[in-house]
Formats: sequence, C-alpha cells, structure tokens
Amino acid sequence: MRRRLRLPTSPIEQSVEARAFLFSGFAVAVLGIVLYGQDYVVPAVGLIAAAAGHVVSYRERNQKREFWRQAFLAAMVFGALFYVIADSSLALFGGILPQANFAILLVAVTSFDLKTRRNCYSSLWISLAIVYLAAVYAWDYAFGVLLAGWTVCVAGFWMASHLKRMNAQVQGPVRAIAVLLVAAFAGGVGWFIVVPQPSGVPISPLVISLPNFTAFKGDIASPALPLVQLTGDPSGATSSVDLHFRGRLGDAPVMYVRTGAPAYWRGLVFDLYRDGAWTASKTGYREMQPFVPPRFLPPPPPHNLGTFVQTFRVLRSLPSVINAAYPIESLYAPVAALREDLYGTFHTPDQLRPGQTYSVVSYLPDLSPDALRADENPSSLPTDDLAYLDVGGLSARARLLAEQVTRDATNPFDVVMALTNYLQGQYKYTLDLPRVPTGRDPVDWFLFDVKTGYCEQFATAETLMLRSLGIPARLATGYATGDYDPVLNQAIVREHDAHAWVEVWFGGHGWVPVDPTPGVNPLAATRFPSHWAAGGIARLIPHLSIGAPAEALGSLGVLAVIPPAIAISLVVVLAYAWLRRRGWKVQARAAPGENELLRLYEKVQRRLRRRRAPPETPLEYEQAMRTALLEELTDAVNEGAYAGRWPDPGRVREMAQGIDRIF
Amino acid sequence: MRPTWRVVGAVALWLVLEWYGATSEVSWLFLLAAWVLALVVACGAYALWNRAGLSLHLAVARSRPAGDSPAEELPETVLRTSPYAAPLFEKDGLELAVGLRTTGGARGPAWINGQVGDTEIRFATGVVPTRGWSRLKVLRELRRGPVGASGWTIGTSDPLGFFRGQRSCPDSEVALVLPTFMSLAGRRQARELEASAAVPRSGSGNELFGIREYRPGDSLRRIHWRSSARHGELVVREYEPPGLQTLAIYLDPEPPSDDVADQIARIAASEAWDCLREGGRVVLWAPGLEPSESPRDLWTQLEWLARYPREGGPVAQQPGRKGRHLPMHGEELVLITASSNTELFEVSERARRRRGWVVGEAVIDADIPLQRVGTQWPLP
Repeated sequence: MRRRLRLPTSPIEQSVEARAFLFSGFAVAVLGIVLYGQDYVVPAVGLIAAAAGHVVSYRERNQKREFWRQAFLAAMVFGALFYVIADSSLALFGGILPQANFAILLVAVTSFDLKTRRNCYSSLWISLAIVYLAAVYAWDYAFGVLLAGWTVCVAGFWMASHLKRMNAQVQGPVRAIAVLLVAAFAGGVGWFIVVPQPSGVPISPLVISLPNFTAFKGDIASPALPLVQLTGDPSGATSSVDLHFRGRLGDAPVMYVRTGAPAYWRGLVFDLYRDGAWTASKTGYREMQPFVPPRFLPPPPPHNLGTFVQTFRVLRSLPSVINAAYPIESLYAPVAALREDLYGTFHTPDQLRPGQTYSVVSYLPDLSPDALRADENPSSLPTDDLAYLDVGGLSARARLLAEQVTRDATNPFDVVMALTNYLQGQYKYTLDLPRVPTGRDPVDWFLFDVKTGYCEQFATAETLMLRSLGIPARLATGYATGDYDPVLNQAIVREHDAHAWVEVWFGGHGWVPVDPTPGVNPLAATRFPSHWAAGGIARLIPHLSIGAPAEALGSLGVLAVIPPAIAISLVVVLAYAWLRRRGWKVQARAAPGENELLRLYEKVQRRLRRRRAPPETPLEYEQAMRTALLEELTDAVNEGAYAGRWPDPGRVREMAQGIDRIF
Repeated sequence: MRPTWRVVGAVALWLVLEWYGATSEVSWLFLLAAWVLALVVACGAYALWNRAGLSLHLAVARSRPAGDSPAEELPETVLRTSPYAAPLFEKDGLELAVGLRTTGGARGPAWINGQVGDTEIRFATGVVPTRGWSRLKVLRELRRGPVGASGWTIGTSDPLGFFRGQRSCPDSEVALVLPTFMSLAGRRQARELEASAAVPRSGSGNELFGIREYRPGDSLRRIHWRSSARHGELVVREYEPPGLQTLAIYLDPEPPSDDVADQIARIAASEAWDCLREGGRVVLWAPGLEPSESPRDLWTQLEWLARYPREGGPVAQQPGRKGRHLPMHGEELVLITASSNTELFEVSERARRRRGWVVGEAVIDADIPLQRVGTQWPLP
C-alpha cells in the first residue's frame, strides 16, 4: 500500500526550466492581482522574494534541509497567517486583498524550500488560487490574456517535468507545439462559449473583502438612491423618494456585478406614500453577523429554480444598503455587522466605499405567469400591517381608472398584468419631465395631465392603483441589471441604471417584482436564464437551452435539412482534401531502393571525379566516362527513372559492394 | 496509446475549476477549465500524430580499432575491397549511431530503448528534427560475432506527458565483428607451398583473374567484347596460372566454449590470411555448416568465421542441409579442433596433405601433425 502511494521518481525539481515556468506562473498571477486588485506593495515584495527563493532553493536542491532554516520558514508562514487574520479582521495593513496577499506571501516564503515535486506543485496550486482571486476582480476581456499566460506556464511546467522525467532536454518541435497550443486555446474558447456552464451553491462565503469596521450608530437609516434627490448624506441618498424632484443620472459606473443571472439589484423598499413622497413606515431591524447563513433567512420560495451567486464591487460611494437580487439565500459583507430591516433589506454601518466588495447568494424564484395565476391565496397580507393596502390619497379618478383597466381580469395576476400593460402601453417614458405644479398630486398629474414620466411615476401609480384594488403592493428601488455580459457573467451598473419598480404580494410566492416602466418585461425581474442555460454566446439568445437547437431546427420544417447538409458537405470536402493531400504525400515518397541507388550513383560520380552534367543523360555520361563501373548502374538508374522499376535495396547493396571492390 | 496518471490530474483540475466556477459565478474559471480540458484533448491528438511518423535508426558511425587490430596492419588494397566502411575486429570499439527518423516534419518528444549485444541503451529527446535525430553510443571491447539489436521500442508521447505510446521494432543485426588474426607463416612448421610459388599473375589457367587492356600478341579469343565496347578500346580477359593452391580449413563443429570457438576462429582466419595473401584460395567448413564461398575473398572468409559456430549461422537456419559435406578439391587441409570429432577426421582423410591445430587439452588420436595451443592470443 505504501509503495502504491509513493509517487514515482520524477526529478522535476532538478529542472531549471520547470522552475522557470513555475515562477512565471506565479508572476502572471501576481500581475493579475496588481492590475485588477490595485494592490501593489505586497505583490511586488512577494515577487522579488519568490525570485530569490527560487534561486536559493535551486542552488541548494541537493542539500539536506537544515532545522533552523525550516524553523525560520515556518515562522514566516505563521507571520503571513497572522498578517491575513489581522488584516481581515482589523484592517491593520489597510485591508487590501488580505487573502491574495497571504497567498502571495505563502508562495514567496515557500519558494525558499522548493526541493521536491510536491513543493513545486504546492506552489503552482497556490498561484492558481491567486489567479482565482484576480479573476474575481477582473472585469474585462484583457484578463483572458493573463489567464492564457498562466495556462501556458502550467503547460510549460508539465512539459519540462515530463521531459526531465524522460531525461531529455527541454525542447520540442516548435511548429507542432504551436499548433497544439493554438488548437487547445481555440478549442477551449469554443468549449467555453458553447457548452453550458453549471451553476452550483457555494459552500462558503467568497473570498472577497475590503473591510469596513465602522460600527452602527443609532437606528438604521433608509437612504434612498440618488435618482430622486440631490440632498442628504454624502452619497446623495435620503430616507425618502420624493416624486417632486428628480436627480441627475450620468453614465458613470456605480458598481460591477458578477452574477450567474441578470436581475434587478434591489435596495430599499417603501410602503408609505404621503404628499408625493414615499417613506418607510417600519423602522425596526435585527442585527446580524457579516456572514448571514441561510438558516437566519426566510425559507426558500417554493418551486424555485435554484440559486445563483452575485459578487458586487462598489466603484463609487453608495448608500449603506446591500443591493442584491431578492430573495436572498445567504450573504457575506466584510463589515463589522449587518442589520436587516423589516422589509428584508440589509444595511451596512456606513456607506459603501469605492473598492468595497460583497457577495450574495439569491434564489431563482419560479415566477412564471401560469404559476402566479394559479396562486391560491394571492392577496392575503404578508403581515397584519395594512400599510401595503394604504392608497395614500389616491384620487377617485385614478381609482376609477384602475377599475376600468382591470375590469376584465378574473384573478389578481391578471389584474396586475392588465394594469402594468396599460401603463406600459398608454404612457411614455421620459427623463425630461417638467416640475410637478404646486398643489398638484404627482400621480394624478402623471396619469391624466402629462401622461409621461420616469420609473418612479410609473411604479408609484401602479402601486397605489393596485392597493386601491385590494392587492398588497409596495415600491422597490435599486438598480436595473446594467450592461450585462453573458460571456463573463458580469454586469456594469451605471448611474442611469438606478430604478424603481413595484413589488406585489402573492401569498404563495411572496413579493413579486413587477415593472410598469415602458420597454421592459412586466415580469422583468423574473427573467433569469434557465438554470442550465447554455453559457457564453448561447446566452445572448434568450432562453436558449440545451434542447433549443433541435427545436429551432424543427421549426424550420423542410428547410431544416439545409444546415446539416451544409455541415455534412463541409466535413466531406475537408475529408476529401485531407485524403488528397495524404495520397499526394504517399505518391511522393521514394520507392524502396530508389534513394539507395541514387546515393550510390552520386557516390560513384564523386569517385570518378567528374559529375554528370545537368543536360547529360545517364547513358551519355556512361559513354563519356568510358568505365565498366557505370554499366550496370546506368542501366539500373535508367530503368528506375524512366520505367519506374527501382531495384530492391539488397540488389543496390550488391552493386555497391562490387563497385567498392573495383575501387 | 494510453493515458498517464497526469491525465487524471488534469481532469481533476478541470473538475475543481468547473466546481469553483459553478459556485462562484467567476466565468474565468470556466474558461481556464475549458483550456485545461482542451489541452488534454489536443495532447491526445498530438500523441497519435507523433506516434505515427517515427522510425528507428541504428547504424555504425565509425569503428575504434584496438591497438592490435588487424585493421591497422591490413594493406590498403585489401581494406579497399572490404564490404564495410570500417571493418570491425575483436576487441575493437564501435560508435553506434542510435536515433530516430521522422516523416512529415519535426516531431517529438520520443525515446528509444533496447539492447545492442549485451548493452542496454536508452535515449530520449524532446524533438526529432526533420533531418533526424541520433546519439552515439560507444561499445568497447567487442566480441566476435554479429552485434544484434534486440528488444528495441520507440516510445512517444505528447509534450505534456498526458498520453504515451510504444511501438516495438524488429530485431536486426547492426554489425558483424570479425575474428582477429595474424600471420602464422613465421611459426609454421610444415608448410609446403612457399609464397613465391603463389604470387598472382596473369596466365592461361582456367579461373578468370580479371580484365586488362589489349596488348599486341594477346589472343583474340581473350578479348572481352562487351567491356571493349563499353571502354571504347580492346579489353582482354586474364586467367590465373594453373596449379594455384586451395586451402581447406575444417573446424570443430561444437567447440566447448565461446573462448575456444573464438580461438579456433582466430587460427582459421590467420591460416586463411596467410593463404590468401599468397594468392591461394580458402574454403572453410565445419560439419553441419555450409562451406564458405568466394574462396579468394578474405572478407567472405572472415564473415563466415565471425558467425562460426553459432546458431543462426548459414546452415542452422536451413533445415535439411545440415550435415552436407564439403567436396574435397584442395591440395592441403588444415584441421582446427578442440575435440575428437569423428566426422571431421573422417572427411579430412581424403586430403593429400594435412596438418592440424588443437585448442585445449583434448586427446586426439589421429595421424595428423598437430600443434596444441591454448586460448590466449596472440599465440605464444
């Protein structure tokens, strides 16, 4: 057993090239941290130390380990461990990427003790962890170059170790290996684009942090997004949404979101509408640890489609609200504590700073129209609080309009959709809205006067109209998905993505997001891709799942034969071309004895000290040289060259022996 | 072609990356995983391609003659008639070029291993260039006989070592080590034909000696018309003088040891050399073996002796011919033996003049003048 577990002999630690590839892989990973994590000091120090460590460990690779050096290195590892703990929990060193820095320091320290294959592979896998951490922060395609570089380093390490095991020099057929790498990279990209990417549940919080340890002071605030108000806290937020004002929304990125599904990133929720402004009527909260596991949160929605992970990286100061897709399954934010308000929204002690990152796991609720229409207990209030049915002074005219619009609807879902579709169809979206006239109710002004508005007008009108029909509803604010990149599973959220929509209560499903703003799906927030939807470019096509290609072909009818026919023709043409080329090569190959005979003919010419002139035929050459040596040879050459009958190699050898004797 | 454990490692890495990608939504991990998997697949295709186009190359690059090698002593005229670029004799060294040939461009990595004689050889390379790749292996102190290449295999893989392939090559003979020899004329006790009586010259015997240009006085019957036509001038045949000596050398068919066999071969080669250089003919024979051919060619005799008396020799491979006797046409017979082989002595009785060598201590009861020697060389 022990013999089986023992690794076979593989002196890769003796290979300079393998070590060079190992160090290069580490350098690429560190470069990723520098470029995408904006972390400079520890990576630079770690890289220099690792370089020195590689030199030392290679020079001393055959020496026995010394106790005191091992003890010193162990102390250094513990020092790095202390660093990561101190920096993660206390931000002693600035709290910039402590996990990545720990990994870098670990590689740097252990580089002084790379004596065995296990040591080398350990170093390689730690550099992979660094690459992973850099990938978490990589938001553009340029990172692919670094990733390819790291892959090449791994391939180089494997190649060097393989050749070292063979006891061969580290070299190879350049052209063939280049083709191999290009094919592998192209094939990998193809695989990445076409093959569905699985989605799973994380078993632990993601390793992301920029700690913020400001403690909560007093009650939680409800800072609204800056899309409606210019005054308030430094982030531009206030505790209300006032429809009389409109903030300025630019194109500047607000945050990056790495997510498995495009969703609305919900922030605050408002339930009380008075005099044209929304506020939150409930101020209670419960305090929680930075990591909120599923057991502290509401149970998963029934018939949900699974979960997906979101990683948010804040790019500018934002209100102290955790924006995420709801309902949340678990949450981790590197702060001292979290507070969950009575609407289910999480708050941080202080505003979110640029560079701060948090991760959330959310459920994918099954919010299909059929399921919502079949909800058996749609309008039961979520709590005893009647605030969700408070119409907030909605005019009788507006109530009448709501009744007129929904009079044909037979169930709450159809009521909601009828009203949503009406608003989307009959009203126009604009950001150039004049100021609401003094004394005029903003909702009536929107519904009956200007008939144009932005998201708050649409959402407020629908919320109040639904309430007037006895359907619990509330105003949700946050951000729309943003510019979603289906290849990298990430979205860039900008200022102008700030959004407001409606959440409608369905007893069997909870709060369901509905968006009456024109141009979006009424159930936009539920339009997540299928759990097993195709990854990459396939995701660009809505709802393209694994069975979609067959369905798409089937829908073409008789024309469906065209794509397979083209594909088959292509394969046949390529195969024919390949066979032609192969056949040509076979024909070009010399017949047995041909090369031997021609070499002998050359040799005899050399010995005779006069070569056959280019225009001279073999017979003329033989006649010119007047030697019996050439008689048989010339006949054989003529017969081979002109009749294609080359002598067998044994016969050529006999001729050579006869000629050698004469010479 | 079979996968190595490294494939398991790569697939495990792929699974880990997929798992991390699935649980973190970091798409880059999926891309990295896809590249790892694509590398494995591409390496599989590469290994198949690499395996197909390589062939083994074994050749004698040059010899390293020992201090007392006959090659140093042989006249240039004799060496020129050698079928070998560099004839190998006992105790000589040999530089063997071991390598690979490729078709359709540079390939690699590859390794070869096998046996040449008793020496295990293994070489590996990362690349086999288009012009081929080879390494020199020096074999020292060669023993008489064929130098066989056996058990050779060509191993190939992809550059990353995910897949390995192995191909066996047929056994072959890379060289033939000839017995060493020396002139025994000085120590010969009973030699009837003196050197002066056997100098090759043109005459009017029956055996064709060669051709030369026509000289006035030559018989027109001797003109070789075909060669004359080819040369553009008259060429005549030359014949050996009659009565030239043919020496028959009979050898013990079953020497008790390799050392004894080597000594018998050396003595026979020496006898043959003495005869041939004086213009005579030599025929070698042992019971159960085919007699040697080309009686005037030293190299043919040495090749015959190089294979004596091992299995795989000329007759042993041809059942049914074993036991065929040499027709007696020589005037003189030399018998070299280490035992009292009945057949050998019976056949030798037909010769007019006989003498013999006994290697070792065997008791020989025969009416032949015998010289007794051991296995040391040169002879004392």
